[in-house]
Amino acid sequence: MPDVTDPQTLSWYEASARQRVANLLDAGTFEEFVGPAERAMSPHLPLFDLPRAFDDGIVVGRGTLGGKSVLAAAQEGRFMGGAFGEIHGAKLVGLLRAALDVKPAAVLILFDTGGVRLQEANAGETAIAETMRAITDARAAGISVIGLIGGRAGCFGGGGLIAGTCSRLAVSESGRISVSGPEVIETNKGAEEFDSRDRALVWRTMGGKHRRLTGSADAYCEDTVAAFRQAAIDLIETAPRFDLAMLEAEQGRLEARLHRFGACRDATEIWAQLGINDPDAVPAMTDAAFQEIAAGVTEASHDAR
Amino acid sequence: MANWRSERTARDARIEAGRAHAEGKVVPAASVVDLLEAVLKPGDRVCLEGDNQKQADCLARGLAACDPAKVLDLHMVQSGIVLPEHLDVFETGIAKRLDYSYSGPQGGRIAKMLYGGQIELGAVHTYLELFARYFVDLTPHVALIAGVSADRDGNLYTGPNTEDTPTVVEATAFKNGVVIAQVNELVERVPRVDIPGDRVDFVVEADKPFYVEPLFTRDPAAMTETQILMAMMAIKGIYAEYAIRRLNHGIGFGTAAIELLLPTYGERLGLKGQIATHWALNPHPTLIPAIESGWVKQVHCFGSEVGMDRYIRERPDIFFTGADGSLRSNRAFCQTAGLYACDLFIGSTLQIDLMGNSSTVTTNRVAGFGGAPNMGSDPHGRRHPSDTWMKAGREAGGTGDPALRRGRKLVVQLVETFGDKLVPTFVEKLDALELARKTGLELAPVMVYADDVTHVVTEEGIANLLLCRDADDREQAIRGVAGYTEVGRGRDRAKVDELRGRGIIRRPEDLGIEPLDADRSLLAAKSIKDLVHWSGGLYEPPARFRNW
Repeated sequence: MPDVTDPQTLSWYEASARQRVANLLDAGTFEEFVGPAERAMSPHLPLFDLPRAFDDGIVVGRGTLGGKSVLAAAQEGRFMGGAFGEIHGAKLVGLLRAALDVKPAAVLILFDTGGVRLQEANAGETAIAETMRAITDARAAGISVIGLIGGRAGCFGGGGLIAGTCSRLAVSESGRISVSGPEVIETNKGAEEFDSRDRALVWRTMGGKHRRLTGSADAYCEDTVAAFRQAAIDLIETAPRFDLAMLEAEQGRLEARLHRFGACRDATEIWAQLGINDPDAVPAMTDAAFQEIAAGVTEASHDAR
Repeated sequence: MANWRSERTARDARIEAGRAHAEGKVVPAASVVDLLEAVLKPGDRVCLEGDNQKQADCLARGLAACDPAKVLDLHMVQSGIVLPEHLDVFETGIAKRLDYSYSGPQGGRIAKMLYGGQIELGAVHTYLELFARYFVDLTPHVALIAGVSADRDGNLYTGPNTEDTPTVVEATAFKNGVVIAQVNELVERVPRVDIPGDRVDFVVEADKPFYVEPLFTRDPAAMTETQILMAMMAIKGIYAEYAIRRLNHGIGFGTAAIELLLPTYGERLGLKGQIATHWALNPHPTLIPAIESGWVKQVHCFGSEVGMDRYIRERPDIFFTGADGSLRSNRAFCQTAGLYACDLFIGSTLQIDLMGNSSTVTTNRVAGFGGAPNMGSDPHGRRHPSDTWMKAGREAGGTGDPALRRGRKLVVQLVETFGDKLVPTFVEKLDALELARKTGLELAPVMVYADDVTHVVTEEGIANLLLCRDADDREQAIRGVAGYTEVGRGRDRAKVDELRGRGIIRRPEDLGIEPLDADRSLLAAKSIKDLVHWSGGLYEPPARFRNW
């Protein structure tokens, strides 16, 4: 039986936001801002007779990673699906804005979110926009923003948009990145278009392996806190500059992707076009075998973003 | 002179009429409606095979498409009301009367139709009870069954999901009835003969493979710490204390958690080989880690489970398999095994009243019973002793010569005090009573009667009802584990303390269990993928349970 207190084996997927952030950073260095003792809670949820959380489902603070100073935010997917509400969003935006003064080596966002909290949608949507603005400001100031995605709730809705503005993303197999979630697509377009109960389809389309192969994510890790830690350390080193040339390269990359894969009906067709010999084998592949395959796919490595 | 062969003559006429649409015994899928309209007579008793797992869905669609002017007033005698077509036939008048057992997904609609008087309900049975009536007063005139493959002579391979088929065929074919089987494919030679061809009159090549519901797959990723705590209490406070070797589990997350704790928590308690060795159980994917760790000696199955077939083939020491290597399940035999040869049934329910009666019926859902009331009852026909059974019997008390005192089957309800959407599990009065009043049922649909239930386990503790000596003991024992529900808050504190002193109520701390230890890290598998790894890649979970 694996020892659960050991970050080497602690599952990212299983861990709480607090366990993730504490074990991701250098041991004992995490210092929380606006912690649960301050009880900054949602002003909206009581109107709906819904329980609140003392931290509104997000942990923010600072610490060091590999000796470098970083800021970190970790969403708690088990509280309202990690969704953005007013306080939740304000804590993330505040952290990102503080980066301009603190000038850390990077800001780490540990995504675990279904998107905006419906009960406080206006505040949540605003928070998404403010977060994206704060990220671009931080990146323009030379501070990398690294997203880590491998939680139960995935990274959906506004979270997916925010992830798109990060400097680099690391993802595990169970991590999913998308804007519209499977159920939303099915509701709007029908089960023939996207059967949300076909979870193999969901993971083929939104899951970590696919996102890595198409280059939407820049690193793929096994589902341990230790693997995410190493990925974060590596990605800080390789984060691209944020300037016009990079943005144009990113635009070009996205246009080329649409052109090349726009007619594909299933992710396996994309993987085949990427030169993977047995695309049907990809979902069941072990992490190590997949890493090897992904290393040979050029789409997976690029300097855009 | 009396005619002793009128049924046989009628059967011959039906078959003659059906042959017009067949080539030998073989009927193309496109001719199903013609075949059924030729064979069925108004008022027939018809068994349309389907239970909580496999469905004769091609034949169900065919029946629903029949002309209600030709096929009408049928009396459906079938295990499961599961597909929409099973109820559509009552709306069109094709069917009128119903005797059944289980109605999971159609529970809401069947309740509406009962209230609306569209269905003349005979009774809601347990599986074994309905099977028994097939041989006494509900013998089908026509059986519509499902198999994997058949040859042109009608020899049928049911595959791992044999389930109800042999029972249904036995009752129909040997009492002048007509048996129509849908199969996924026609073959030269079936892998094994589950039903001999002389019991099958027509074989329909289905347009698509019959549907099987993966009802027994529980995703470890969705298991909560509360369920883990309850599972720890059940293992330590019941399995270990009564040394339960022979058992059946329900389909809930709580019992799945027990299965996943055997190789971890159970191992730590040194219980391997002492408990949970012989099972009457479907091939639950969550049992894989216990099997792989050497806990399980053998398992007999009601049906199969989607994705488990390859794994079962590779574990013939554990499962019952045919000469072809695949699982042989049989619902009637396995229900009998659960009734007579198991010392424990443990399962969940939606409502429990103050005496311990339980039901899964709510005012707007009639889910039926399936097999739980059968396995969750104390069989008075049992004569063989076991230490478990005898210990439970002694706890239940009694006077006179010990050699004349029977034992007791352990029937355990494993429930959280609040269920889905925070609806309280404990109630003063079961909704089933209101349903019975509104629909004019003589018997309220009770899942497990109070006099059969021996223990109630909640996150607050274990109530041992065997040790209760009067109605007040019993009511307070149940209130004493009912948590913050109205029923729980209505407890007599002094009495509950007294019951705790007598060992009737036991809290986690009384069992030496620290609730904070109830952590997901105790689960031998935390995801479906972990189960695949445990199985050495042999378990192939259906797409809806994957997250890769």
